[in-house]
This record gives sequence, structure tokens and C-alpha cells, in this order.
Amino acid sequence: MSAITTNQFKTDARSDNRWERAVPVYGVPVVTHFFLLLVALTLVALMLTGYRELAGLGPVSGMNDAFGWGIWKTFNVMVLTALGSGAFAVGIAAWVFRRKRLHALMRMALLTSFLAYASGLLLLGIDAGRPWNFYWIVFPWKWNMHSPLAEVAICMSIYAMIPLAVENLPPVLERLWYFDSRLRPGVERMEKRLHSVFPYVIALAYLLPGMHQSSLGALMLLAGERVHPLWQTPLLPLLYVGAATFMSFGCVAGTTMLCCLMWKRAMDMEVLDEAARITCWLIYGWSALRIVDIAFREQFGTAFHFDRFAGVFWLEMAMIVGGGVLLQRSLRTHDRGKMFLGYIVSSLGGMVYRFSPTTLAFRPNPQALYFPATIEILVSLGFIALGVAGFLVAVKRFAILPGPLYLWHDMASYFRFRRPYIRWTGYFKYGHFGEDEDVATHSN
Amino acid sequence: MAITRRDLITTIARSGATGAVAVTLGTTPLHADTETIPVPSTAVGLLYDATICIGCKACVAACAEANGEVPDTRGDSLHQSPTDLNDLTRNIIKLYKPTDGSPASYVKRQCMHCLDPACAAGCPFQALHKDPESGIVYWTADKCIGCRYCTITCPYHVPRFQWQGYNPRVTKCELCSHRLEKGLKPGCTSVCPTGAVIYGPRTVLLIEARRRIRENPGRYYKDKVYGETDNGGTQSLYLARVPFDDLGLPELGEESVPAKTLRWQRRLYQYFVLPGLLYAGLVQVIRTSLKGHEEEAHAREKETGLRAQL
Repeated sequence: MSAITTNQFKTDARSDNRWERAVPVYGVPVVTHFFLLLVALTLVALMLTGYRELAGLGPVSGMNDAFGWGIWKTFNVMVLTALGSGAFAVGIAAWVFRRKRLHALMRMALLTSFLAYASGLLLLGIDAGRPWNFYWIVFPWKWNMHSPLAEVAICMSIYAMIPLAVENLPPVLERLWYFDSRLRPGVERMEKRLHSVFPYVIALAYLLPGMHQSSLGALMLLAGERVHPLWQTPLLPLLYVGAATFMSFGCVAGTTMLCCLMWKRAMDMEVLDEAARITCWLIYGWSALRIVDIAFREQFGTAFHFDRFAGVFWLEMAMIVGGGVLLQRSLRTHDRGKMFLGYIVSSLGGMVYRFSPTTLAFRPNPQALYFPATIEILVSLGFIALGVAGFLVAVKRFAILPGPLYLWHDMASYFRFRRPYIRWTGYFKYGHFGEDEDVATHSN
Repeated sequence: MAITRRDLITTIARSGATGAVAVTLGTTPLHADTETIPVPSTAVGLLYDATICIGCKACVAACAEANGEVPDTRGDSLHQSPTDLNDLTRNIIKLYKPTDGSPASYVKRQCMHCLDPACAAGCPFQALHKDPESGIVYWTADKCIGCRYCTITCPYHVPRFQWQGYNPRVTKCELCSHRLEKGLKPGCTSVCPTGAVIYGPRTVLLIEARRRIRENPGRYYKDKVYGETDNGGTQSLYLARVPFDDLGLPELGEESVPAKTLRWQRRLYQYFVLPGLLYAGLVQVIRTSLKGHEEEAHAREKETGLRAQL
């Protein structure tokens, strides 16, 4: 990166690692071997989906009369939307509790949320046996207002299609603004309109996930005794939201750290420390609530039975609390490796927790077993691949990943000198690069 | 920045205070509503007496025939011998035979037609609904999205999903309502050779069950009619010699499953008062945050010369 020196800016900010600005990942191709693998997985999943629509759910999945729900619902929707609750949890911390540093992570949070919800909702439509009847969703008087599943289905679709999509618009508009100077007046008008509705949209984007993430927990309340008492509790909705908060912090911060490692970006430890601090206290609070709840219902004895339920319980608690402890230690030593590991471990623990009530701790009567079929796993993987592929395209084409200020200037130089023939990136052609911009505007 | 945490709290409190009062006042009577389960005016049902049943399975064949199902011969490609309720079987006779020599019993399993059905409580678009007059729990193909939540929620594990084919159905007993319309009895009761299962209005069936218990002391388990109060009351009633739990009829208590588990859910979402209030409060707080954030971003824009990213 020798070209960077040609770009002048006032202070020597290169030592300053603060995340000031979202900068696209530049200088790397979108279509890589890994990306092609993801696309292939998605295509395979789509083809298998066609087969599923004709053959029915039985031939493609391990679902049976006892386990009516397979991994498409219990993993891709229940678990992955918890990981994708970043727009909810990080957003509330940033906008409602005014942890201003976390604004740097907001675009990552919004993008991961949108992709997790979109891929989850698509798979929900495939998992439904009679999807053509979804049209009832537009007639509110036909909804069963007290059904947790109606709440989940309706609220999730509205959330992903309206508030989450609108919240994800600014990077797109920004891209258009840089794309061509002729688009600027229109884009600016749209941005103004967007900002005037923003408070209402953002508030909706916190209310709806709060409702449907808790309703995901409420789903299993109706299953009653069939969910093991270590999981079945009237607090299940609250615990589900709680798990979603720390898991999504882990997902957003962890993904950002991973991206920084992968594309060699500076890490802003102030932001990451703040996120880790919040996550670790969320984990402690959640774990305490869960333990107190189990003790209050006098079910702690079942945790010491020698069976798979106790095993799963201790596994998830160890992972969640262990992750929290790692995060807390990393705050003291500023050890990034420990912090990353803490996020991974606690999020994995949370994933097991969200997966348990429907599958691992579900005791159908009569006894039965469920293990996903190959096609089921492939479709599930394919839709995850779709989300990851979408993420890779988005971070390389839009300003999503946070970076230090100098990275923006680096990017400008890179495009100006290394790729002058790529007009469509616009970041350089009609770009807005501080001092140079003045030259461009004066000449008009 | 002019925004302090105190401002934040006072804003929330100001917008929430009046509403909180309204919600508390509003939900107290609602609480009482959810506790009482209305019994349909002309509730009909079945009374199955396991002590009379001889396990001939005539009702299983008659049920399939009455509902126009092909006989389920998937077991050995010859006999109609389903092992459990399934997509072709709405009614089945099972044998409970303990190894220790204590009394054995047959049990007939079909939809219980609960007074407060958990399947209907969970069904997102009311595909499963309870008829307000007859109390029969119906499944409507036009509204079912095939989510299979009913197979998870039903405490008796009755609704079954069709796993094959592009147009799957949910199969459950609907008390042969098409036969009732013609003045006929449900398929199973019309063929039972011993009268182990009879059809009638729920009130009459309850009186009959009580009479049998009175006239045969010691014959029935705990002198109890299962379904009188269990799970909030059901319209299929059971008499048996062995514990009901062994026959697949769990002890669920007098409160129905939906009333027991969704009480808070129902109260929180009643008329959308609480979510509405929360929304109003959030808008207030975020409006202030947004203003501060925009100011900061524009100040930064002037400083760096780079367009603000919001």
C-alpha cells in the first residue's frame, strides 16, 4: 500500500485506531473460491427446495409425528435470528441507553440482523406445509391474536420487511450519493425524508423484536410438560430475549473482529471493550436469572440426574458463563484473542440454549428420536450460505465495516491510482475526499 | 451534550406513568375473564368406557370408512393395522398391558375436543377452531399454513400432519360432523358392539358416567371421569380401571393448558396497550438521541471534510 502516502491530510492520524467511519472492504474481489462455494451451496439448497415442495416434508426431513419441528425452524429461525438480534440489542444500547461508541458497530448489527432474518423467513416459508395460505397475513381480523406463533410469523415478517429494511437504507443511499453526482439532490431529499421518520422506524425496530423474540420462547410454553423442567418456565420468553441480547452482541462484535483480522483492519479497543463489558454483564444477569428461576421452581435436583438433559444444561451454562468470564478477563488484559474466544463460546452456549427447548430437551410422548436428514441439513446450510454470501457482497460494496479515518483516505487513493478504470465505485470518480473535493466543485 | 441519564428516565417515566395506571386498571377484570372457560351451549362428545371395550377395533375401521380415508395398511400391506394415530387414522384402539400382572386396559384415542383447546390457542390463522355451538374442534384447510404447531401444543398428541405430498393435511377427529348433519352418529359409536363408546350431549354423557360409577363401586379408577375438569374440561370423556396417565391421558390439572401458560402473554398484549405505550416512550427517547447524534455527526463532518455517515 504505497499509494497511501500520496494522499494528504492534516494530522498524522495513522496511529489513531478509533473507528470513525464505515469503509467498504476494498481491493479484494467479491467472487472468490469461498464465495463460489457459498453460491453453489445456495443453489443446491434451492433445487432441493423444489423437490421438497413436490414430495412433501417427510421424504426430505427427519421430522416425524413426535418431532413436528425440525432444524429449519428450531435452528435456522429460533437460533439464528437470536444471533441476528444485533439491530435490537446493540441498537437499544446505542440509541436508548446512549452508549455512543456502539454507533460504530450499528451498520454491522443492522446488516447481520437483516440477513439472518431474511434467510430465516425464507426458510420458514419452505418449512410451512401449506405456504400458499400465508396470504391470511394481510387480514388482521383473521389473526389469532393470542397465538405466540402468529405473533412470531406476523411480527417477524413486518420487522424484516419494514423497520429493518429501512434502517439498512443509509449505506445504500450513501453508495448512490457517491456513485454519481447527478444523483445527489435526489438522494439528499430521500435522506431528509428518511431522517424525519427515523425515530418512529427505530422505535418500531426495538418493539417488534422484543415482542417476537419473547414469543419464540412463549411458543414452547404451550408444550407444557414435554419440555424438560430445567427449560420449561413461565420466564421462558424473558430468557429467550435475554439470550438473544448477549448472543447478538457476540455475533456483531465477533464478526467485526473476524472481519478486521481477515482484511487487516485496525481494531478500536474502546468500542470493543465497551461491547464486551455490556455483553459480560448481560451474560451474568441472564445466568443469575436462570439459576434463580430454576431454584425458585425447585427443579435444581434434576440438574444432577445422570441423563442427557443435565448434560446439556451444564454444557450450555458452562459455555455461557465461561464465555462471560473470558470477556471479563479480556477487559483487564486487553487480550483480543480472549475476547474473541469469549464471544464465540458464549454465543455457542446461547445457541445451544435456544436450541434445547424445541429439540434437545424436548421429550415427546410417546418416545421418539429426531435427527435431521441429509437433505434437511443441506437446505439449512444453503440458506446460511445465502446469508453469508450476502454479507460478503455487502461489506465489499457498501460502507458497513467500521474503520479508522485514514482507511477512508487509503481507499480513495487506492481507487484513484490503482483502479482508475472502475468508474462504478464512484467513491473516487465523483467522490467526496475533503480537500480534493473543493477542486472538483470549484471547477464546475 | 444536553442529554443526561436523568432526562432519559424522566422522559420514559412521563410518557409511561399515565399508561401504566390505565393498564393496571384495564387488566384486572381481564384476568378474571381468562380464568372461566365457557362451555359451548350444545356441546356434544363421546364417552368411552375402557372397562367395557373388548378391543375389536371395529371403530378404527368404521372411522376410516366414515371419513372416506383409505384403510391404513402400511404396516404389512395387508391388514388395517396402524400403530398410532396418523395421517390416515383419526381414531385408534391401543392396549395398555403392564408386565407386572396388574390390570390391563384398552384405550381409544381420538381428539378430546377440549373446552379450551391448546391447538386452537396456538393456531396462527384460526385453521383449528372450536365451534361455539357444538364445541367440535374443526380444521379448515383454507387457513392452515402447515406450521405443525398443533402437533407440538396438543397435550394429548392428537393432530397429525401428513408428511407426504405437496398438499399436506392435518388429520384429527372432527366427530364425524358430516354424519351428524345427516342425523347419524359418529362412525366409531355406530359400530361399537359393546357400547364402550357412546355419543351424546356432554351433559348427558357426564350424568351417564356418574351413574356408572355410582352403580359399580370400586370398578373405576379413583371414581373419576377423565375430562370432566381435566385440562379445563374436555368433550371426550373417559372411564377406566387403570390410572389415566398410563393410557396416555396425562394429569394436567383443572386449569387448561392455554390458560395456565399463556396468561401473561395474553395480558401483556391485551388491546396492544402495553406495546403501544412502550412504543411511544421509545419514540421520545430515540428522537432526542437522534438529534444529538446528528449534531455530533455534522460537527465531525466539518472537522474531517468527509460526508457524515448516520
